[in-house]
Amino acid sequence: FTHLDATALSPGTARDLWLYHELTTHSLSQQLTEHLRLILAPTLATKLRGDFRTGKRLNLKRIIPYIASSYKRDKIWLRRSMPSKRNYQVMIALDDSRSMKESGVENLALKTLTLVTRSLSMLEVGEVSVVGFGDHVTVAHSFDKPFTSESGVRVFEQFGFQAAKTNVRGLLERSLSIFSESRHRGASYSGEDLWQLMLIVSDGICDSHAEIQRLVRRAEEQRVMIVFIIIDSSTPASQLSTSILDLQSVEVLPEGKVIRWKYMERFPFRYYLVVQDVKELPSVLAGALRQWFGEVAGSI
Amino acid sequence: MASNTKPPETKVQIRLSTRHLDLKFSEDPGAVLVPTSLRRLQLSRLVNSFLQTSTPLPFDFLINGQFLRSSIDDFLTQNGISAEITLNVEYTPALVPPVHVASF
Ligand SMILES: [Mg+2]
Repeated sequence: FTHLDATALSPGTARDLWLYHELTTHSLSQQLTEHLRLILAPTLATKLRGDFRTGKRLNLKRIIPYIASSYKRDKIWLRRSMPSKRNYQVMIALDDSRSMKESGVENLALKTLTLVTRSLSMLEVGEVSVVGFGDHVTVAHSFDKPFTSESGVRVFEQFGFQAAKTNVRGLLERSLSIFSESRHRGASYSGEDLWQLMLIVSDGICDSHAEIQRLVRRAEEQRVMIVFIIIDSSTPASQLSTSILDLQSVEVLPEGKVIRWKYMERFPFRYYLVVQDVKELPSVLAGALRQWFGEVAGSI
Repeated sequence: MASNTKPPETKVQIRLSTRHLDLKFSEDPGAVLVPTSLRRLQLSRLVNSFLQTSTPLPFDFLINGQFLRSSIDDFLTQNGISAEITLNVEYTPALVPPVHVASF
């Protein structure tokens, strides 16, 4: 009765697969949740600030004006500022292109998606969304809905790994506009910090690196953090595919000179991780996020 | 701005092989990511760069048993092949050598 996309997973298969991944990543999700709890929670603000009538420590710069004003200008105290509660919008973008299937990484990618969405919903730090990208971008789960097990099944139904292109540039353009709209909607959490994070799960093979770099810079300006999770194919089971760490990229200049370089040497994303086994994911992802928070905390 | 940007470059992974034992690479480079704009001439240069020959040799290329007579991009379009798939590309010494005709 309804139109079913022949290339996507059937509802039955999607359900079985989701439940299987949920079960097999259960303890890993708990590990990741614990890592994320420590990283995503606000760090204790240690700064003393403000001009208050009472407080923790005297602001020495205010003492002379205080005396000179015959003790009228009495806001001479500093207080320890409390960290504001952080809220997150986390988008997971899963590569739906055919290369995922060709290199045999689609199952590990779905497992990664399960692990990350489960951990984030256990944490309850904010909103979770899932998009698919290939030729086009499809929103498989939007920010305004809670992410449940049933959502996971619905999301799986929308992936078939058959897309004939891997348009990462299009993904970034679309997701940045989604983030910008969602930030305005999220502005209703008054007084709370909204942090936007995007996790791209893909085999990492994409074109138009110069355009992508430009968009990655724009994301930084919009304070959207992007972590690229590369699902690598060099598992012993797939001897035929080349690990992305060994992949060579080639250019032939007009005069005929051949230039070769390791693909990952010019990867356009600043924060990326290469995952060959889902067991590595909790600690590796936590490491990348910790590094980012370390850098951002130093800059604000 | 969008109007004068060039069409997006496409890349494809290829795996080079040959039936000529004396022309095999000493070390298998595995899959190599190349722009689909490449033609026979540029692929020939690529093979030579892997062979590290002192004198470059001209090569012909076969994909799925067909000689490549256009850019890889046109070949993929004509044969309905997706650039998402790793192509097996066979190289073989070119039947017709390039312009090295002796003057009469
Ligand atoms: Mg792809």
